[in-house]
Amino acid sequence: MKPAPFRYLRPRSLEEVLAALAEHGDEAKPLAGGQSLIPAMNFRLAQPSVLVDLELVEELRGMHDENGALRVGAMVRQCDAERSPLVTGTCPLLRDALPWIGHLQNRSRGTIGGSIVHADPAAELPAVAVALDANVDVVGARGARTLRATDFFDGPFSTALAPDEIVSGLRFPVVEHSAAACLELAPRRGDFAVVGVAAFVRFTPGATRVEDAGIVAFGVAATPVRLALAEASLRGAELTVQVAEAAGAASAEDVARPTADIHATGDYRRRALAELVRRALDSIASRRGVA
Amino acid sequence: MGTSARIAGHDRSDRVMTPPPDTTNPAGYVGVRAGRREDRPLLLGRAQFVADVAPAGMVEATFVRSTVAHARVTRVALDAARAVPGVLAAVTAADLQDVAGYPHLVPWMKEVNAFPLARDRVRYVGMPIAAVVADDRYAAEDAAALVEVDYDELPVLVSVEAALADDAPRLYDDWPDNRLLDMPAADPDVDRVFAEYEVARATYRMQRQSASPMETRGVVADYQGGRLTVWASAQSPHILRTTLAMMLGLREADIRVVVPNVGGGFGCKVHQYPEDIVVPWLAVRLGRPVRWIEDRAEHLMTSIHAREQRMDVEAAYDSTGRIHALRCRIATNVGSGEVFIPGTATTLVSGGCLTGAYAVPLTEVSLACVVTNKTPSGAYRGFGSPEGTFAMERMIEKVARRAGVDARDVRRAMLPDPGDDTFVTPSGGRLGAGSHRQAFDRAAELGDQALATARAAHAGDPRIRVGLGVVPFVEPTGPSYYGTTAHWRAYDSALVRIQPDGSALVGIGVQAIGQGIESTTAAVAADALGLDVDDVSVVSGDTDLCPYGLGAWGARGAIVSSGAVLKAAEIVVSKAKAIAAGLLEADPEDVVVDRGRLHVRGTGAPSVTMRDIATAAYARTAELPPGTEPGLEATVSYDPPGIDLEPDDKGRMNVAAAWSNASHAAVVKVDITTGAVALLDYIVVDDCGTVINPLIVEGQITGGVAQGIAGALYEHVVYDENGQPLSASFMDYTIPSSREIPPMTIEHIETPAVEMPLGVKGVGESGTIGPAAAIANAVGDALREFDVDIVATPITPTSVLEAIHASGANT
Repeated sequence: MKPAPFRYLRPRSLEEVLAALAEHGDEAKPLAGGQSLIPAMNFRLAQPSVLVDLELVEELRGMHDENGALRVGAMVRQCDAERSPLVTGTCPLLRDALPWIGHLQNRSRGTIGGSIVHADPAAELPAVAVALDANVDVVGARGARTLRATDFFDGPFSTALAPDEIVSGLRFPVVEHSAAACLELAPRRGDFAVVGVAAFVRFTPGATRVEDAGIVAFGVAATPVRLALAEASLRGAELTVQVAEAAGAASAEDVARPTADIHATGDYRRRALAELVRRALDSIASRRGVA
Repeated sequence: MGTSARIAGHDRSDRVMTPPPDTTNPAGYVGVRAGRREDRPLLLGRAQFVADVAPAGMVEATFVRSTVAHARVTRVALDAARAVPGVLAAVTAADLQDVAGYPHLVPWMKEVNAFPLARDRVRYVGMPIAAVVADDRYAAEDAAALVEVDYDELPVLVSVEAALADDAPRLYDDWPDNRLLDMPAADPDVDRVFAEYEVARATYRMQRQSASPMETRGVVADYQGGRLTVWASAQSPHILRTTLAMMLGLREADIRVVVPNVGGGFGCKVHQYPEDIVVPWLAVRLGRPVRWIEDRAEHLMTSIHAREQRMDVEAAYDSTGRIHALRCRIATNVGSGEVFIPGTATTLVSGGCLTGAYAVPLTEVSLACVVTNKTPSGAYRGFGSPEGTFAMERMIEKVARRAGVDARDVRRAMLPDPGDDTFVTPSGGRLGAGSHRQAFDRAAELGDQALATARAAHAGDPRIRVGLGVVPFVEPTGPSYYGTTAHWRAYDSALVRIQPDGSALVGIGVQAIGQGIESTTAAVAADALGLDVDDVSVVSGDTDLCPYGLGAWGARGAIVSSGAVLKAAEIVVSKAKAIAAGLLEADPEDVVVDRGRLHVRGTGAPSVTMRDIATAAYARTAELPPGTEPGLEATVSYDPPGIDLEPDDKGRMNVAAAWSNASHAAVVKVDITTGAVALLDYIVVDDCGTVINPLIVEGQITGGVAQGIAGALYEHVVYDENGQPLSASFMDYTIPSSREIPPMTIEHIETPAVEMPLGVKGVGESGTIGPAAAIANAVGDALREFDVDIVATPITPTSVLEAIHASGANT
């Protein structure tokens, strides 16, 4: 479990990062918190010949409110976001999802952008980004662009990012009159989800009627999956116990062929997903103060 | 009832009840709840492990391992690896001409002809094919990645069913089938009873597990001046030395095996692995110290696995649920079988201990160890008992349900009456004095209380069910090694030396592996020598210093080390008294020993210290009584009585020095919408005879129960149909953490073992034996409305939900 030989670069600016990536192309790999990449290198599953550490790049840090969105720099540590009053106040779904990521030790190194780019189908943050229809800010030697999270994730561990690009940050829309919940089932606390749900519901101002919802399942398919039928079943409804139950049942139709692996069968994931959707909506209802 | 303790769980700190240390025992140190002497260096990070050993000039080895499960190896190309800068050697089996294969010890097993590196055939993924040595592990792994191996792939067998099929391909061409060990049984008396009664049948399965100690295996070897020193993380240093001598063609006198601190063994370090042989060979050949430290991926893939077993059980029972005859066919998936010490004996224990302390008049148990294209299996804490106990206890539940009676009554009726110390198991185990029914009743009582609490806590939640499982079992301790190896028996040895300063050095053949044997041995020795415990040093793990012993396994240390230490101390004390009598001009018969002083019986009598005695023994030898030799030490061995080497005319034999007993009660919560099983409470009522140190016994039980829970609910070594391991890291091999382990209540009953030193019985494996059975029964109890039959471990959310849905329930 020793990595193959590699060069280690530690640029001090975004410009230097992009120059290094442009020079080395797909031989290079940016290093964020290293919670997935370093184990993959130790198993020699990943053998980049150049490692470009983003640690010192100030432009990739910081969180702020930006025109009705929460902008989170790609290199923001997960533990810092978890403790941030700004995150708690503007993006409750992100706040709810962060404690599910690994263990505290992982979150003290792991970054928001790293988790997004790694695109583990069982990870929390990609699901949160898709649920909220977040924007993914991308920079490269050829310029900057913004992708919708729904367009960013191609498949397991695969994104729309080119080898010479990095994610600079994410913008999570601040949704007024909403409540959110993230839940998951895993063999042990801290494991990747066997089934997970990231959900938010936007209510009619001053009421408990559902205007809109974003419900995403993770751990069940190659990418985070929007549960469109479950979402549709909620629009215009009062978020009652029965409605939550029905949305859960509808979610089973949203995932055609759930992942099967050594931790759970596809049938298990479908059944458990329905229950998790129900629980997430129950939790949202109680947070909204629905009787 | 003896002492009791509440062991902290993950989230119940308010319920922790740790009794204060008892330092007032005037009788001595045995029985005192004392902190472990091992802990301070461990907790301060000062303990040295094999990975900390670094002789000057050391280089590192890594291994090229088979990537396929079954193949002929047609070519191994090493040139590219040898060309890597920093590489000192790259070798295959062909280079190991002067190495003998693993010896074939056990005549009732087929011959495996295992060799440390694959000669021409690989039979599991991870089997070592070549070794590469370089300046450091990085360079070694870079070079190993360049070794090319050509495989001519062969059909792959992963299950016992496939391997036992009539037309199955054979793993060993010269065998008639894939049975490494085959012990069929047929008993017409059993057939007769089966014809008379109702019969319940079921197939039970336990999954493959990995021991996964915190410290992996490792070996460092150095050959200087014609002497080989091998540092290893091992449970049996002397047997490693014997094996090295046999295979490397050296004299045992020319080999020193040193075992530093061991971060857990749990059975997997009993075996002598390919790396244990090849690394010393490389050190001899290169004239450089060579190190290999197993990484976690290697551990999960190649250190022995255990427990994968199918048990087909049939029980003939009457209307009260009493079982009159039991038939069991056990098929253990032992992987490729290429392991030394052989890995077949767990199957014998599964079969031999199947019915525990239950009076089942007739049994017919067939055993088969079946080879497959998986990693070899071998010793793992519990050693066959968790498997058999799981099958037996599930069958009792089934029988009781079919008979319409309470399973608890069925168990009680079949357990020996209190005070009955004549019970003999169907396989010949003479259980001796125990507390089977008392322990069971107490565990049931505590379990009922915990269940009531759990019911109240979850009443009104339509998605939660709670349940209780209570099971009794026995643990064979201080066992004979004969059934495993056809060598040795159960003995071990001790050196007790009074040093010139009057303190004592105790060297033991049992290995310290984290179980606290140094602390317990010090307590026993201090009492026997009349010394302060701080004046007793205990050493294990150095074949130059410690007498020959069999090591740490089989819950044997407390029995055999105590026995040997007591015998040696008796000799030493007798001589010390004689010297004291000379110095005091008294009769040796009148000299008594008390905490470092020897004095003449009676108050105000003159005395000398052990230091005075030692001074006389080593320095002022002119003061010794006439005819007394200088020096003050003894080395003796102790072979516990009562162990049979040969079966009687009914095929029965007692293979353990003492039989511990315990009952476990598990209280579980099952979420019927997610299938999640959570342990709410875990209760242990244990009887390991005289308790040397309650803290250590409870530590052994707590850790053992955690490992048992791991097997019941979490851990599973999984292979795909091509024999590729799918649980190759801790991401997929899910060892429970402290968050998954519940609080435990542990109570002791002390029924001394009559013939054992101090009355002790072993306890090291007890904790692992009960959980699978207790938890499966608790889950079955929780889900009784669904008529769910738990027949396999691990009990996963998927399996629970499938069982509920298969029952036709609409949840």
